Amino acid sequence: MFDVLGERLNSALAEVRGSGALTEDQVKKVTREIRLALLEADVNYAVVKEFVGNVRERATGAEVSKALSPGQQIVKIVNEELANLMGGTAQKLTFASRSPTVVMLAGLNGHGKTTTAGKLALFVRKMGKNPYLVACDTYRPAAIEQLQQIGKELNVPVYIEGTEPAPEGIAERGVKTASDEGYDFVIVDTAGRQVVDEVMMEELARVRRAVKPHSVLLVLDVVTGQNAVEVAEAFKEYADFDGMVLTKLDGDARGGAALSVVSVTERPVKFASEGEKMGEFDYFYPDRMAGRILGMGDVLTLIEKAESEMDREEAEAQGKKMLAGKFDFEDFLKQMQMIKKMGPLSGLLGMIPGLNKQLQGVDIDDRMLNRVEAIVTSMTLQERRNPKLLQNPSRARRIARGSGTTQQDVQKLVKQFGQMQKMMKQMGKGGLPKRMPRIPFNVK
Amino acid sequence: MRTEHRMGRSWRNFFRRSEETTEEGAGVVVEAPEPEGVKASQPVEGASAEAVLEPVAESVTVPPEADEAVAEEDIESGWFGRLRRGLRRSRESFVGQLNAAVAEFRDTEDEEFWERVEEILITSDVGVSTTAKLVAELEQEALEKNITSAEELRKLMIEHATRLLDKPVELDISHKPTVILMVGVNGTGKTTNIGKLVHFLPGNVMLAAGDTFRAAAIEQLQRWGERTGAEVIARERGADSAAVAHEAVEAAKRSGTDVVLIDTAGRLHTKINLMAELEKVKRVIERQMPGAPHEVLLTVDATTGQNGLRQAKLFHEVAGVTGIILTKLDGTAKGGIALAIADELGVPIKLISVGEQIGDLHPFEAREFAEALFGGL
Repeated sequence: MFDVLGERLNSALAEVRGSGALTEDQVKKVTREIRLALLEADVNYAVVKEFVGNVRERATGAEVSKALSPGQQIVKIVNEELANLMGGTAQKLTFASRSPTVVMLAGLNGHGKTTTAGKLALFVRKMGKNPYLVACDTYRPAAIEQLQQIGKELNVPVYIEGTEPAPEGIAERGVKTASDEGYDFVIVDTAGRQVVDEVMMEELARVRRAVKPHSVLLVLDVVTGQNAVEVAEAFKEYADFDGMVLTKLDGDARGGAALSVVSVTERPVKFASEGEKMGEFDYFYPDRMAGRILGMGDVLTLIEKAESEMDREEAEAQGKKMLAGKFDFEDFLKQMQMIKKMGPLSGLLGMIPGLNKQLQGVDIDDRMLNRVEAIVTSMTLQERRNPKLLQNPSRARRIARGSGTTQQDVQKLVKQFGQMQKMMKQMGKGGLPKRMPRIPFNVK
Repeated sequence: MRTEHRMGRSWRNFFRRSEETTEEGAGVVVEAPEPEGVKASQPVEGASAEAVLEPVAESVTVPPEADEAVAEEDIESGWFGRLRRGLRRSRESFVGQLNAAVAEFRDTEDEEFWERVEEILITSDVGVSTTAKLVAELEQEALEKNITSAEELRKLMIEHATRLLDKPVELDISHKPTVILMVGVNGTGKTTNIGKLVHFLPGNVMLAAGDTFRAAAIEQLQRWGERTGAEVIARERGADSAAVAHEAVEAAKRSGTDVVLIDTAGRLHTKINLMAELEKVKRVIERQMPGAPHEVLLTVDATTGQNGLRQAKLFHEVAGVTGIILTKLDGTAKGGIALAIADELGVPIKLISVGEQIGDLHPFEAREFAEALFGGL
């Protein structure tokens, strides 16, 4: 189903053509598909409505950048808005000025609090902290044993009082013990709860008051649906969380819930958890999430890369040179390096919508590019500017030696390059050659 | 179309038993109205008081602990009432909107009205495609039937949703032993719902601690064993899950156990190696007892959005899911993903789980669910 949506979005993008300012109609066409993509990604309905409205407003009348198609231009605006909403950069962990730093975890049942507690402990220990875990889930059978086992695995102490005492009492005594024993980072694990359960939510508020944490993290499963907004609002009310941990990111959920929560509570996602191994935990990078939610991360990456790496003017100048038949090895090298900056060729081509399928089974070897580059860089500047010089076999031999290729390779490249030059010139004159010469990339 | 709908489905007809007990059980529609599921409006007082009305217990051996759950013999607190209460907070605005929309409904060509219906479905996690399909159907039928009254329209909406969801829910426990395999993504409630299911299963039940991966998963199942009196087959953490399943089926055959419930580790449906492992567990069971596992139950968290459909699809492909347990319906989530799953995969929702108490598990009733979804009845 995701593929269907992706394809629809791509065809909508392809449909929208033209230059100059974006028209209302163009914007409408694309935002309609984006709306669906966001809904399918579980972004809350109300959030989508507002978001798409904003994008429409901003996009209509906006100038289309020369590097992009109008459709891409709209997607770029969407992406920027998404990234803005999610918060621009990763939020780093801060520590209390007076030890210990106390972090409390809260969330719905089964979203991964206990596992997160272990992961966070390992994460801060790598930063040189001395973590301590407090087990306050007195409800779920064997929840305490789970934390205990995780603690044992990581060699992190776990504070336990069993399931009888009130969680706030356990939490308070746990933090005090940690502090007395010189631990500087305390993680308080709490029971999973449903937000409609007021008694349980009150209890969470009591735990919070008892330990006065420096940070409360809402642990949220990335698969969460439309109710993420209500969940987050309730946890904000009772636990006043200041950030989120997004869990199970190794699945294929789009994670629109994250966007809903951030936009409604204005609390950022701080950590990303993705896997069952304790080490699979990191800061959250908001820019990466925007693409995931839209389900077209690849298109976005391509847009960004095209924008940042391609120097528009230079490309235009080269285009003119090409068509005039004055395109030499020096220009060729520049272009090749520009392409290489954009990443591996296979990945790059795969990012182009529609091309991915055609490329299946085609083995694109980046080493090919490297070989060509080696040959060209082994040429003298004079040779690059005047490829005719290269018809001299001794020059070709020298270049082959310098580039670690054979003389045949060099001669083949020179020959193909000459054909390409001719073709370009013909195109410049308005005609296409009957037979398209090979592009000089197939040097083995 | 069925003409007879009750507010709650009884456990009495939920289990398809072996032949000799068929007469009193399977397939017979019980005429007596069920006390559970009657509309309720009293808010619960606390977690401990959240016990839901106990299901009909004649055919069930109730372990002593269950008394906690039965404490409140109050028809006002049927699970439907609880579900409604649970949904109330989030639904108020919606139902209000829907009511307003329905009340103002004049003719079937009112675009704005249909947009609101779409909104209600999408915010219930029904998903874009199933919503589009449902709304299109409704629009057409409303037009054909020339519906003008708000109540007729609401009935129509409930009717359509019900039709989509209404599938045979009964659990086949007619084999000896009957082997039930529990599968699902991490944190969706496999182990918890095994614990609850044991409580309702007739005959003697054995549990197999097949989640050998997660920390303390074995202990969690053992705790449920203690609570319900079911024997638990377990090995150490890290043991081969298939071996545990094998041992359990073997032991069940030997001891004449009626039902074996096999727990498995939570796994993301995208993890190819873990899904292959699950396939192996199933294969081992099949080899040992042809026809088994007789039921493969997938737990889906009701708070899950559209990814629930992916989960169901991939688990179904690998393990041949026979039914879904929709869990954690006690929150603000409306579990609309059930509609998408029923629509796109055709796998029946068999059970719903609405709370943390042992008695909070119920056979799924399509109409009830549809009514809760559209609210305001």
